[in-house]
Amino acid sequence: MIITNNLTKKYGDFTALDQLELSVKEGDIYCLLGANGAGKTTTINLLLGFIQPTSGSAFINQLKVEENPLETKRFLAYIPENLMLYPSLSAVENLDYFSGIGGKSLNKSQLEGFLEEAGLQSGAFHKRIESFSKGMRQKVGIAIALAKDAKVLLLDEPTSGLDPKASNEFGHLLQKLRGKGVATLMATHDLFRAKEVATHIGIMKDGHLKQQFVASDISLSQLEKTYLETMDYKTLVS
Amino acid sequence: MIRKTIKKEIKELFRDGRVRISIFIVLLLLGVAVWISSRQYQNTNQDYAAARLSEREVWDNQGEKNPHSAAHYGTYAFKPKYPLSLVDQGVDKYAGTSIFLEAHKRNEAQFSAATDQTGLSRFGDLTPDFILLFIMPLFIVLLGYNSFTKERELGTHSLLKSAGARGWKIVLGKWIALFLPVLAITTSLLLLAGIVLSNLPDYGVFQWSSLVAMGLVYLLYYAVFTNLVLWVSHWAKRSGISLVVSLSLWIVACLAAPKAASNIAEARHPYPTRQEFAANVLKDKEAGLDGHNPWNKEAKLLEEQVLAEHGVDSLHQLPFNFNAYRMQKGEEHEAEVYFKQYNYLKEQYQKQSGTYRSLALLSPFLPARFLSMGIAHTDYATHWDFSDAAENYRIATQKFLNDNTAQNTKYGERGYKASADFWKQLPAFDYDPPCLDKVLENNSSNLMILGMWTVLSFILLFISTKKI
Repeated sequence: MIITNNLTKKYGDFTALDQLELSVKEGDIYCLLGANGAGKTTTINLLLGFIQPTSGSAFINQLKVEENPLETKRFLAYIPENLMLYPSLSAVENLDYFSGIGGKSLNKSQLEGFLEEAGLQSGAFHKRIESFSKGMRQKVGIAIALAKDAKVLLLDEPTSGLDPKASNEFGHLLQKLRGKGVATLMATHDLFRAKEVATHIGIMKDGHLKQQFVASDISLSQLEKTYLETMDYKTLVS
Repeated sequence: MIRKTIKKEIKELFRDGRVRISIFIVLLLLGVAVWISSRQYQNTNQDYAAARLSEREVWDNQGEKNPHSAAHYGTYAFKPKYPLSLVDQGVDKYAGTSIFLEAHKRNEAQFSAATDQTGLSRFGDLTPDFILLFIMPLFIVLLGYNSFTKERELGTHSLLKSAGARGWKIVLGKWIALFLPVLAITTSLLLLAGIVLSNLPDYGVFQWSSLVAMGLVYLLYYAVFTNLVLWVSHWAKRSGISLVVSLSLWIVACLAAPKAASNIAEARHPYPTRQEFAANVLKDKEAGLDGHNPWNKEAKLLEEQVLAEHGVDSLHQLPFNFNAYRMQKGEEHEAEVYFKQYNYLKEQYQKQSGTYRSLALLSPFLPARFLSMGIAHTDYATHWDFSDAAENYRIATQKFLNDNTAQNTKYGERGYKASADFWKQLPAFDYDPPCLDKVLENNSSNLMILGMWTVLSFILLFISTKKI
C-alpha cells in the first residue's frame, strides 16, 4: 500500500530525508520513531504530496504520488499532530464536509454511525468542535478516515498531548482499522504506544532509517534500549 | 464538493457573531437609507408637480400683454426627479432642479438641494447608493478577508489538501458562499425599491428593466471585490495581513481613486470660472446683432438685407413688424452664442469624463458609479440633456412670442398686446430622459471597463488559487 524507493528530500545543503526505503502492507501498522528533525514528518509530507522529493519516489496503492497527487489522496486519510477542524461546526457537520470533499455523500445516520464507530459519545455528535478535547477531535479524524474508506492512514504524532485513557482508546481504534486492512504509517515519539499498536517499527535519525523491526520480535525494554543507542543517548542506557 | 463548501462556509459565516452584527448593521442602514430616500423622493416630486402646475397657471393667466414683456417675464423649466434616483441620487443634489427661461439669456439650473443646506451637508447623506457603493464592498472585505487565511490558522488547510480537494472547486465554493449574502442583500434592496416605486403615483415611468440593469451593474462591481478579497486572503499568510491589505484596496478603490480622478480631470481640463464664462458670452454677444438696438451695426446690415429681399425702401412697407423680426434675429444670435459657449463647457465635461474613464482602469468604483448614475438619470450627462432641452424650449418660446408680434403689428407700432388666450397655445415643457438602451450605449466604455475588471479579477483569482 505504501512504498518508498530511495526517497530523498534536500533543502539546499541540508538533507531532511536520505534514500528512504519503506514498505507498509495492507493491515500493517508501521511506527516511525525518532527525535525531532529525524525526517518522520518529511516522509509523511512526501507521501501526502505536500512537498516534492529531490530524488526517489513514493507510491500509494501502486500510484506514484508525484505524478498522481489527487488520485493518491482518494486512498488515504491523514491525521496531523493537532487535528484542527472547523470550530463552529459540529462533529457531524465536519465529518459531512470532509467526507464530501473526498467524494462521499453520506446521510445523517451514516455520519453518526462512523462517529460512533470511531468511539465518539453520541451526546457530542451535534456539539460544536470548539468544545472538543484533542482526543475527541482525533476520534472525528478517525471517523473521517472510516467514512472515506481509506486504504492508507498517515498519522503524525497523533497521541502527543493525549491523556493515557484517550491514547489507549486511540490505539484500539488503530487496531480496529488494521482489522479492516488499512495500512497505517504513524510518526511518533511514544515508544510505549508504538510497541503496543505497531506491527513494524522503524527508528529514524538525521533523515536515515537506522533500524527496522517486526514489533512482535522485540520487547519494550529492548526497543527502548535500541532507540536510545541509535540516538546516541548512551549515558541514559543502563 | 462545491455544494458542500458553500454549505460549510455559509454555516461558518452565520455562526460568527461579527458577521451577524455586520449583516444586521448593513440591513439597518439600508432600511433607513431607503426610508429617508423615499421620503425625499416623494417630497421632491410633490414640490415638482405643485411648482410645475403653479408656474403654468401663472403663464397661462398673464392676461392681455405684450409678447416681449412676457418673454422677459419668463417661465421655468423644472427637472423631474426620476424613479431610480430613489436608489442613486448621483449629482442631483448639486445640479439644480429648475432653469429660468427668459429672453436673450440662457440661465443655468438653480435651486440645488445643496444650496438649501448648511455646510454640514458636505458630510453627505445616508442614501442607498452610499450603502451600495461604499458599505457593501466593505461588507465583502469583512466577510471574506479570512476565507483562506483561517484555513491556515486553524490547521484545516492541510486536512483539505490531504482530502484531495481540487483548488478551483474550493475557491468556487468559497466565492459563491461569500457572494450569496451580498446577492441576497442587493436583491432585497432593489426589490424593495422596485415595490416602493411601483406603488408611488406616476411621477416618471418606472421600468423594471432599468432596475435590473442597475442591479447587474452592482453585482458585477461586487464580483470584482469578491475576487480581489479572496485573492488577497489566499495570498496573505495571516488574517491580520489579509484584513489590512483588503481594507487598503477598499480605501484606494472607493475613496482615494474617485477623488484623485476628480482632481486630475479638473486639472487637465478645467472649466472656465463663472466670470470668464460671462465675459466670453458678453464678448460674443457684442460682436453680433443686438435685437433691442436698432442702431447696432449688425442691426443696420440686417435692415438693409431685409429691405432688399422684399424690394421696398422703407421698413413701414414690410408686411411684418421689423422690430419683432430684429428681436427674433437677435435671439437667434444670442442662442448661437450660448450654444457655442455651453458647447465648450460640454466639451470640457466630456474630456473630464474621458479622463475619468481612463482612470477607471485603476478602480472598479468609477465605471460602476457612472453606470449607476446613468441608469438612474442622475448623472451630469442627463443634466446636460435636460439643460439642452430647456434651452431648445426657450428658443422655441422666444420664436413663438416674437412671431406673434411680427405677424400682428406694423413697424413702429407700439402698445400691442396679445390676447389673454394666446399664452395657452404655447406647448408645456416636457422632458424625456434618454432611454435605457441609449444610456448603456453612451456608457459602453464604462460597461467594457467594468466587464474587464470582472473577467481579469476572476482570472487572477482562479489562476493563483489553482493549488490550495
